[in-house]
Amino acid sequence: MSKDVLVVKDLNMHYETLSGDVSAVKNVSFTVKEGESFGLVGESGCGKTSVAMSLLQLQADNAKISSGSIKLDGLEMVGMSESELREVRWDGISIVFQGAMNAWNPVIKVGEQIREAIREHYPDNTKVENTEKIASLFKMVGLDSSIMDRFPHELSGGMKQRAVIALALSCDPKLVIADEPTTALDVVIQDQILKEIKKVQELLGLSLIYISHDIAVIAEMTDKMAVMYAGSIVEKGPTSEIFANPQHSYTQSLLASTPSVVGDKVKLNSLEGEPPSLINQIDGCSFAPRCPNRTTTCHPELDMELVEVGPEHFVDICSANRN
Amino acid sequence: MDKNLNQDLQKELRREALKRNWRLFKQSKLGMIGLYIVIFFLFLALLQPFLFITGIWNKGVYDPVVGYDTIKDTLLVVECPKEYPTEKYESYTDCPAKGEVNVKKLYMAPGVEVGDMYETFIQPAPPSRTHLLGTDSLGRDIFSQIMEGSQVAFILGLLSATLGVGISTILGTIAAFFGGRIDAYLMRQSDLILMLPSLPLLFIISAFAELKVWHLAVVLGVIGGLGGSVITIKSQALQVKVKPFVDSARITGGSNMKILFSHVLPNVAPLALLFMVFSVTGAIASESVLSFLGLLNIDMSWGIMIYLSQTDGFIFSGMRYWWLILPAGLAVTFLAGGFYLVGRGLDDVFNPRLRKR
Amino acid sequence: MLEYIIRRTFQMTIVFFLFLIFSYLLFNAIPGNAFSSLLLNPNLPPDAYQRVLEIYGLDKPLFERTQMYIVNFFKGDFGYSYKYFPKTPIELIAERLPRTLMLFSIVNIVAFYTGFFIGKVLAWRRGSKAETWITVTSVFSYTVFYPWFALMMLWVFGYKLGWLPIGKFLFPEKWYDAPFDSDVVFTSMIKFTVVVSVIQFIAYLVTRGIESLSLRRNLRFGSLLAIFIGSYFYWNNGEALIQKPYASDIAYHMILPVMVVTVVAFAGTALLTRTTMMEVLKEDYILTARAKGISQKRIRDRHAARTALLPVVTSFIFTIVTIIDGSVLTEQIFSWPGMGQLLLQSVLEEDIPVAMATFSFVGVFALIAHLLADVSYSYLDPRIRIKSQG
Repeated sequence: MSKDVLVVKDLNMHYETLSGDVSAVKNVSFTVKEGESFGLVGESGCGKTSVAMSLLQLQADNAKISSGSIKLDGLEMVGMSESELREVRWDGISIVFQGAMNAWNPVIKVGEQIREAIREHYPDNTKVENTEKIASLFKMVGLDSSIMDRFPHELSGGMKQRAVIALALSCDPKLVIADEPTTALDVVIQDQILKEIKKVQELLGLSLIYISHDIAVIAEMTDKMAVMYAGSIVEKGPTSEIFANPQHSYTQSLLASTPSVVGDKVKLNSLEGEPPSLINQIDGCSFAPRCPNRTTTCHPELDMELVEVGPEHFVDICSANRN
Repeated sequence: MDKNLNQDLQKELRREALKRNWRLFKQSKLGMIGLYIVIFFLFLALLQPFLFITGIWNKGVYDPVVGYDTIKDTLLVVECPKEYPTEKYESYTDCPAKGEVNVKKLYMAPGVEVGDMYETFIQPAPPSRTHLLGTDSLGRDIFSQIMEGSQVAFILGLLSATLGVGISTILGTIAAFFGGRIDAYLMRQSDLILMLPSLPLLFIISAFAELKVWHLAVVLGVIGGLGGSVITIKSQALQVKVKPFVDSARITGGSNMKILFSHVLPNVAPLALLFMVFSVTGAIASESVLSFLGLLNIDMSWGIMIYLSQTDGFIFSGMRYWWLILPAGLAVTFLAGGFYLVGRGLDDVFNPRLRKR
Repeated sequence: MLEYIIRRTFQMTIVFFLFLIFSYLLFNAIPGNAFSSLLLNPNLPPDAYQRVLEIYGLDKPLFERTQMYIVNFFKGDFGYSYKYFPKTPIELIAERLPRTLMLFSIVNIVAFYTGFFIGKVLAWRRGSKAETWITVTSVFSYTVFYPWFALMMLWVFGYKLGWLPIGKFLFPEKWYDAPFDSDVVFTSMIKFTVVVSVIQFIAYLVTRGIESLSLRRNLRFGSLLAIFIGSYFYWNNGEALIQKPYASDIAYHMILPVMVVTVVAFAGTALLTRTTMMEVLKEDYILTARAKGISQKRIRDRHAARTALLPVVTSFIFTIVTIIDGSVLTEQIFSWPGMGQLLLQSVLEEDIPVAMATFSFVGVFALIAHLLADVSYSYLDPRIRIKSQG
C-alpha cells in the first residue's frame, strides 16, 4: 500500500468580512495517497477553491484557518512561518490556477517565469541545467522549447495552459492541485489539456487534486473523489463507487443534472434554488432546504458527520440512514 | 408615448448613479478631507463680501488692499550696551527685547529718556482680537487678504480648469474619433505647446499684455487645454471608441456628430472631470508663482502676500513675523492639496479597479 | 519600429520649424527691444540708438529678419548675444548647461528612486497606519507651494541652523587663486558621474544573466564597492586631486537645492507608483508568484513593481522634459547661475539670439524626450507594439 502524501484533518477556514465571519471550509478531512488523483466537486461558491488556497496557505488576508491540520508527507503545514511555507510551496505542493490566462506576468518571458520558480528552490542549478529542465517539461506537455523566449501574450490560450502545467511541474512537486484548469478553454482544447494532465500524472506518478464543478470531468480524471456542499464534504469515496452508488441526495442531484453520452435519453433534472449563505451558522443538514427527495427517514436535524457506508465510502450522517 | 416615462426613468437612474457615486466617494477618507478643505476656503471666500455688506467690517480698516489700521503699543525705552554678553542680553540680537525699544532709534522724538514708556504704532502688528492674523507692514489686515486671495484662487482655478478641460476634451475626442490628419495635426499642435517652456512663455505674455485675474485664467486655460491633456483625453476616447455601444449606435444609423456627442463624450466625461480637479491645483500654483515673481497685475493674492513678505525681508526674520509668512504659504498649499485630494477621491469612484473590496 | 522613428523624426522637424517661427515672432511681439534703454540715457548722442539698431539688424522689417534668422539657424549660425556681445549663444549655453544638468540630473535620479521606492512600500502596506501618514506627507510635499517652501528651507538650514550656504554655487573667496574655471570642475564632475553610472549599469546588465540569486546579489554589491574604492583613488590622484577642494565646494552648495527639489519632486512619482502598483497587486500572476514560493520582496520588486513601472517611467520622462523649464524658478530662488536663469534673463532683457537658442534647445530636448518616452514604453511593455499613427 502506497503512503499518504497529504492528510487533511478537520480543516476549518473562515473569512472575516464586514458583515460577519463567513465559514468557507468546515471540518474538511481527506487523504491523498502517492500517485493517486483525488477529485473535489461542487457548485461554485461551495468552498473548493478555499480548500485549495488553504492547502498552500495563500488565502486572502482576511481569511483565517481557525483549526485543523494539513500534513504534507507527515510535515504539519498549519502554523508554519512564511519562510517555511515558501519552501513548501511549489516544491511540495504546486497549483494550476483557475483561468491560467492571467497566471502569467505579461512583461516577463515565459521561460524566465518558470526558471524563476526553479531558481527559488534549487539555487545551485546552472543556467544550462535549468534550460534543459524547462525544455524537457515543455516537451512533456507538447510544447516547442522555443516558447521559452516568448512573452505570454504571444501564446494561444491552450499553449498558455500547457505552459502552466509545465510551470506546475517545474520543481518536481509531491502534489499538484489543478483548480478548474480548463474552465476558460474551448471544448476541444479542454479535452486535450485533460488528456495531457492525465498522461503527465501517470508518467510521473504524481499525486493530484483535481477541483472542478463538472462531475463528468471528475469521473474521467480521478481515482477518489469528495463532494462538497456549503463548505463541507458531504460524501467521499472511490470515484467508481460513488458513481455506481451515490448516497447523498446532493450527489444524486449532481449526477442527475449531468447528461450521459451513452445510454438512453433521459430528462435532465436541474437543482432548484441556490447554495445557502455561509455567513449564518447552519444547524443540521445544510442541503435540507433544497433537497428534492426528502423522506421521513431523513434526519435533517443531525449535525454533520461522515459515516462509512461502503468500502472507503463515507457519507453525511443525515443522508446515510435514509435507505 | 413612452418618451416621458423613459425620461423619468433616465432621470431616476441618473439620480441613483449620483447617489451611488457619492456613497463611494464618502468611503475615501482622504477625499472627504480634501472636500472639507475646499469647502472651508470657499466659505472664507464668501465670508469677506458678507462681512463688508453687513458692515461688521469697516472697509477703511479691513479692505485687503487699501485698508489701514494702527495698533498702539507702549514700549520701554532702553539703551543697548556696546559690548555683549551682559546680564540682560546675551548677544546683540537680543536687544531690544520684546516690549522694548532702543533709545537710539528714537532720535526723532526729543525728550525721551531711558526708562520712559514710549507710545508707538506697530506695523506689522501681531495677531490680536481685532486682527485675527495681524497686519502686514502697511497696516493691512492679513485675514482679509487671505479671504481675498481665496476668491482669486477659486475664480482663477475653476475658470482656467474648466476652460482648459473643455478645450482638451473636445479636441481629444475629435482626434480620437476622426483620426488621420486631424489627429496628426492636433497631436503635433500639443507637441508644439509642450515644447514651449511654460514659465518664460507666461513672462512674455505678461510683458505685452497686462494680466488681470481673468486674462490669466484664460491664458492658463488655453495653454493647458492645448497641451498634454489632449493626448491623455485622446487615449481615453480611443478606448471608448472601440466599445460595442459605439458600433451599435453606428449600425442603427447615428450620425458622426450624434455618436460623438451622445456616446463618446459622456464616457470621456469622468476622466475629464478628474483632470479638471487636478488642473485646478496647477492653476492655483501657477498664479502664485507668477505673483511671487511680481509679474501679475493683481491687487492681492496669496502669491503677492508671499512676494511682499519676501521683498520686505520678513521671510528671513524667521518665526518672529510668522503671521506674514505662514498663512499665505499654507493657504496655497492646503487649497491645492484639497483639490488634489478631492481628485484622488473621485479617482476611486471612477476607477473601480482600485476600490477596496 | 524604424519606420515609425523616421516618420516621427520627419514630423518633429516640421513641428520644430513652426516652433522656431512662432517663438521668433513671440519675442518680437514684446514691446520695446534690448536697446530701448539707450533712449533714456541723456549722455548719448541722439542717433546712437538708431546706429545700434542698424548694427544688429533690428531696423529691418520683421518678415525679412525672421527669414534671415531661420535660414541662418539651419546653417548653424545663431548670431551673437546682445548683452554679452562677443559671446555666442552656444558659448553661453555651453557654460550654463553643465551647472543645470549637474544639479537636476542628481535631483531627478534621487527623486525617482525614492519616489518609486516609497510608492512601492505604500502599495505593499496598504491600509496600515504608516501608509496613511506617508500618503499625507507625500500629498503635502506634492502640493506645497514650492517657492515658499524653498525659502523656508533656506531660512531653516542656511540662516537659522547655518549648516548650508544660502544661494550661489560656490564661495567666490575660495576661487580667487583657483587654477581653472568653475566650468572645468563642473565638466569633470559630470564626466565622473556619467562614468560611474555607466559602470554601474554595465555591472547590472552583466550580472543579470547569472542564475544564482545570491551570487548575483554579491556581485552587484561588489561592483558598488569597487566603484567606491575606484572613486576614492580617482579623487586622490593627479588632476582630480587639485580639483577636489573646488568640486567639494560646489557639492556643498548643491546639497540644499538638491534636497529641497527632491522633497517636492519625489511625491509625484511616489503617488503615481502607489496607484499603479495597487492595480497590479490585484492581478492573478501575483498570486501565482506567491504560490511559486518566491519571497515577498522579490514579488514586490520584480513582479509588481516591474509592471507598475510603465506609467511611472513615462511620467518621469515628461518630468525630464521640464528640467530646464522647472529650473527657472529653482535657480532664481537659489541664485544658481544655470540654464534657467539664462533663459529668464534673456527673455526679460529681450536678448533675442540667446532666448531663441535656449528656447530651441529646450524644444529639441522636449521633442527627443517625447520620442524616447514612446520608444521606451514599447520596450518595457512587450504587449505594446507601436502602430504607425497619423
